[in-house]
Amino acid sequence: MRNITRVLIATAALGGTLAAATGAGLAASHPDLKWTAIFDATGPAGAYGTSQKNATELAQADIDAGKIDAGGQKISIDVQDSATSPAQVINIMQSAFGNGTSLIIGPTLSSEAFKSDPLAVKANVPVLGVSNTASGIPAMGPCVFRNSLSEAQIVPDVIEAAKKAWHVKTAAIIYGDDDQFTKADYTIFNAVLPKSGVKVVDVETFHKGDVDFKAQLTKIKEAKPDVVVYGALYAEGAKLLAQARQVGLNAHEIGGNGFNSPQIIALAGKAAQNVIVGAAWYSGAETNGNAAFVKNYTAKYAKSPDQFAAQAYAGVQIAAAAVKKSHPGDAAGMCSALKELGTVQTVIGSFKFASTRDADAHGFVVQIKNGTFAKFED
Amino acid sequence: MFDQQLANGIFLGAVYALFAVGYTLIFGVLDILNLAHSAIFMASSFVALALVGHGMPFWAAFLAATAFGGVLSVVLDRVAFAPLRARGVGGGALGPLISSIAFGIIVVSVVRGIFGPDEVGYPAGAVVSANLHIGHATFTAIDLSVLVISLLMMIMLSLLLKATSLGRAIRAVAENTKAASLLGIDVERTIGLTFLIAGALGAAAGILIGAQFNAVGILMGQRIELKGLAVIILGGMGSIPGAVLGGFLLGLLEVFSVAYLSSSYRDAIAFAVMFLILIVRPAGLLGKRAARTA
Repeated sequence: MRNITRVLIATAALGGTLAAATGAGLAASHPDLKWTAIFDATGPAGAYGTSQKNATELAQADIDAGKIDAGGQKISIDVQDSATSPAQVINIMQSAFGNGTSLIIGPTLSSEAFKSDPLAVKANVPVLGVSNTASGIPAMGPCVFRNSLSEAQIVPDVIEAAKKAWHVKTAAIIYGDDDQFTKADYTIFNAVLPKSGVKVVDVETFHKGDVDFKAQLTKIKEAKPDVVVYGALYAEGAKLLAQARQVGLNAHEIGGNGFNSPQIIALAGKAAQNVIVGAAWYSGAETNGNAAFVKNYTAKYAKSPDQFAAQAYAGVQIAAAAVKKSHPGDAAGMCSALKELGTVQTVIGSFKFASTRDADAHGFVVQIKNGTFAKFED
Repeated sequence: MFDQQLANGIFLGAVYALFAVGYTLIFGVLDILNLAHSAIFMASSFVALALVGHGMPFWAAFLAATAFGGVLSVVLDRVAFAPLRARGVGGGALGPLISSIAFGIIVVSVVRGIFGPDEVGYPAGAVVSANLHIGHATFTAIDLSVLVISLLMMIMLSLLLKATSLGRAIRAVAENTKAASLLGIDVERTIGLTFLIAGALGAAAGILIGAQFNAVGILMGQRIELKGLAVIILGGMGSIPGAVLGGFLLGLLEVFSVAYLSSSYRDAIAFAVMFLILIVRPAGLLGKRAARTA
């Protein structure tokens, strides 16, 4: 009898446990979706990555507050610093796969993406690049997306605007030849300029971390181009602009994608005046929710957002819209959800993915005027 | 173009020379590579920038931050090198090298924590940067300052080493610490003063180069470190005039590689020429280490 009582008690306890477990299971039918954002918050690309990190953390707060609508789904974004090191990107990514992440946002640089994205493709985890602009990024795999406009999408508009406003016939290009990001500037400009009827009269290179560019700029000055194209990250870019003035180079100037940072203005000061840049976004853009984004970001971080911040924030908006529409539960579902997503209104404008998973959107040609990026009035 | 490129080469060389003078002093005395030199160079540059940001004139900030660099260098010696010396780990061993790397990493981390990862510049008007002209060459007042100061440092340091009692003590310690001690020289004090001078020189270099390019950043020391090392080897390890000569030679080699050959192969060409020079003169242009070791 005592044994029967024990069996009954044990059965009741087991039943209770099962009921509790089932109840818990019901409550967790939509467990938190984990995403991992990998940005270079430190290292040479630190200014870009810090903007991305800040914007992603702001977007996380906006998801939690319901300002970014993910259809009620809880999402937790783990923002990691890859320190401008491809090896660190790979380490973070591999840890994220083990922790059940359903989406990788990032990494910051195209050069990092080319090394790390194939691992995500192998692990069947989708990647959303929010700042990779080199050609061939989405082509790495069926679940590699990007919301950043490629240089190839922006550069022709920039050259046309420069031709119209400045009647340029000759150009010189100087670029960093040891970085995928800046090398992409050279590849695209060198291909598009001749097609637009602009002759490339000199090409010079430098290396990441160089501080003195006067030898190259003196050589460019001798070639007398109408316009100089800079393929540089902001640190080298600011020095290039200042030293171009020092050696008396008076050509018009176009900056590549690395010039899309307020840091270039902060460091180069007056030397940055009148440089034009192709951009996916600028702070005065009249896009949906942009004014509030600029206001909230500035209030939270005591500095204005840049294009990198806007694209990172828009990346979360896009992924959240995909979650709202398709309710994915895992990485495979997240990939399908992004593929099935239609047009979304974001801070960088009306956005949709092309069939190639590239951004199907338009950029802006902006000019640095009095310490800020303004729409280029040609 | 030649005039401008010659000026470009000389002024770039002055940057390398300025960095290398303090770097080579420590090697000359202690026979160790102080890889924290670049961290002191960078940290002092940030200190000067912060002082200017708080309203101090540039010249006063320069002096204060140079003193800071000297003191930080003495701390480096006390923390990273002195304990190893006390245990008999001398020059040529890997311990002090790793110890200096560790100290450098700590300094970089602290500076990053305080000032952030972004490269920053001096407020407009804080540093005089008027353009000057000689013939067809254009350069800035601060370019000229770096050139003059690097030459002055070389002369003053050479005089200090040759014509003062401190200089004689430093040279005695450099030759043999035990013999110097037997001669009544306070070895630890002499080494401490050597670190003070080297740190102040590194700090002055960092502040001036930060102002010259209007860019102060965490990586500014690392960027110049490898070239600084090449310069002191080319000039002759431990030789002050050699460091300056090596700096100017590397600057001119780089600039003329770009001007008359290809910017893509600038470093390859410059380092290939240095390699050839070292085959002919293994101890460097003005190096005497082989003779001293023998």
